[in-house]
Amino acid sequence: MKTITVLSGKGGVGKSSITASLAVAMSRKKKIISADCDVDASNLALVLGAEKHEEWKPISTNQKAKFDLKKCNSCKKCFNSCFFNAIEWINNKPRLKEFSCEGCGLCKMICPAGAITEIDINNAKLGYSKTKYGFIVVSAQLNIGESGSGKIVSEVKNKAGKLTGDADFMIVDSAAGIGCPVIASVTGSDYAVIVVEPTPSSFSDMQRAMEIVDHFRIPIGIIINKFDINPGYSRKIESFSKKNDKEILTKIPYDKKFVDALVNLTPIIVYDEKFKSIFDTVAEKLIKMFSDE
Amino acid sequence: MEIIGITGGKGGTGKSTISSSLACELAKKSKVLLVDADVDCPNDHLILNIKREFLKTVWQRIPKWDYDKCIKCGLCGTVCKPNAIVSIKDKNPIFMQQQCNGCGACAFKCPVDAISWGKKEIGTIFKGKNHNIRFLSGELKTNEPISEFVVNDINKIIEKEKDQYDYIIIDTAAGTHCPVISALEMCDNVFAVTEPTPLGSHDLEIILKLLKRLKIKSSIILNRSDIGDKKIIKDLAGKYNSKLTAEIPYSKEIIDKYSKGVPIIGEFIQKIIKEL
Repeated sequence: MKTITVLSGKGGVGKSSITASLAVAMSRKKKIISADCDVDASNLALVLGAEKHEEWKPISTNQKAKFDLKKCNSCKKCFNSCFFNAIEWINNKPRLKEFSCEGCGLCKMICPAGAITEIDINNAKLGYSKTKYGFIVVSAQLNIGESGSGKIVSEVKNKAGKLTGDADFMIVDSAAGIGCPVIASVTGSDYAVIVVEPTPSSFSDMQRAMEIVDHFRIPIGIIINKFDINPGYSRKIESFSKKNDKEILTKIPYDKKFVDALVNLTPIIVYDEKFKSIFDTVAEKLIKMFSDE
Repeated sequence: MEIIGITGGKGGTGKSTISSSLACELAKKSKVLLVDADVDCPNDHLILNIKREFLKTVWQRIPKWDYDKCIKCGLCGTVCKPNAIVSIKDKNPIFMQQQCNGCGACAFKCPVDAISWGKKEIGTIFKGKNHNIRFLSGELKTNEPISEFVVNDINKIIEKEKDQYDYIIIDTAAGTHCPVISALEMCDNVFAVTEPTPLGSHDLEIILKLLKRLKIKSSIILNRSDIGDKKIIKDLAGKYNSKLTAEIPYSKEIIDKYSKGVPIIGEFIQKIIKEL
């Protein structure tokens, strides 16, 4: 199975809409599974119109400290050693700042009174949905205020691998940004698609996303979305891509139908036939790329 | 002094555009600091045409081994939760510094004190000014995973300088994870920017839940208010006791200005200011 990850750096440039339509186009020719690795705000199942989650279960990838205040001898060693400032000192006893605890376990090791244990935290829910297009989308949602999105991303990809080991392609939708969850999304991918808009912000963020992918030596293709809102800037992105030896997979015109498709929870490739050829061309390019191996 | 957060959950809803516009408008009469806390992908300087100047480097501590002291017991690797240390018995430990979060478990566990502290660069904080605004912008070094450490360093600067300003506007990253929480924790009053689409409302609900848990006052700014179904957003506003402060209709003019990197000013900004 080959993994294709869609990222952009900047949010809201059309990543999920494009991933959904690309997945539908690919699924008409090959066996695929899709993985929504934007676990902060998971949207891919929604864009694909698949609302019902199967096996929607809590998962735990994190631990947090728990204090037994009866055993605590108020030596303050935990408070003094926590690198994340996750312990407050109140009434001569420790109190955990939940949002800050990384679950590193140092306080537990340091406590001479054995008053600290580590408990598993259910930091997300993970499950999958069957889409009406014949493939599955695996999703997870980080619980409110929890951390550890990088590890949850890895769990989503593992689950997708287990559910359909015989799929030809896994299509991954990554989060915005370039931090921990995005690095986890890109890790182990065979190809990355970077979506960009012709704006200074998106172009700047695309270059940062490219640095992440280049670090892993993963080949990159670029999709310029809404290329006609600033044709001059689109040309700038094209020449930048050419200079850096990155293929432009396609250019998509601005069309209000994208929003209509979103509101109707239907991928644009299904919502309006005229976009079919755009995504078919990209799907064919990707399939051909890996059939040569 | 009031610290205002601009967030939204979903990316691309207009957080940076609104932060920049709000900062410009407030700066006409007040002392304003605009903070770009989207350290993964900072863009506010592009919108406001601010030339950023280096302010400081963000460092993170990392362990350093004294191999003369190391007895190759492998214990450091067993306590490293982010799996940054691979220790094989009778071999020097292998350290993957990118994975390290600096927690210090390895140094504590080492029975022979062979681990001391070094540091790695994980980001930069820039300063700047334009349009009568003072500006701070954090930038994560690419391939470093822990964005919130950069945000935490920005927070320290805000803490130190906050009394010099009437308003501090913090523009957060998309999403709801650690770097967003770190930025929101500084704020007195947060505006969640969204759009009336199923994705916008889905992500808005997550951020409103988060703000409720953080006990921070929230209001909603509805961008591109005429592209979908407003009712879903109004319902959420009611459910989370959050006021729908301003509606910004979809406009080709705003897109044109945005794609050229020009801040937008309009009557909706006045509505937000009135709310403050």
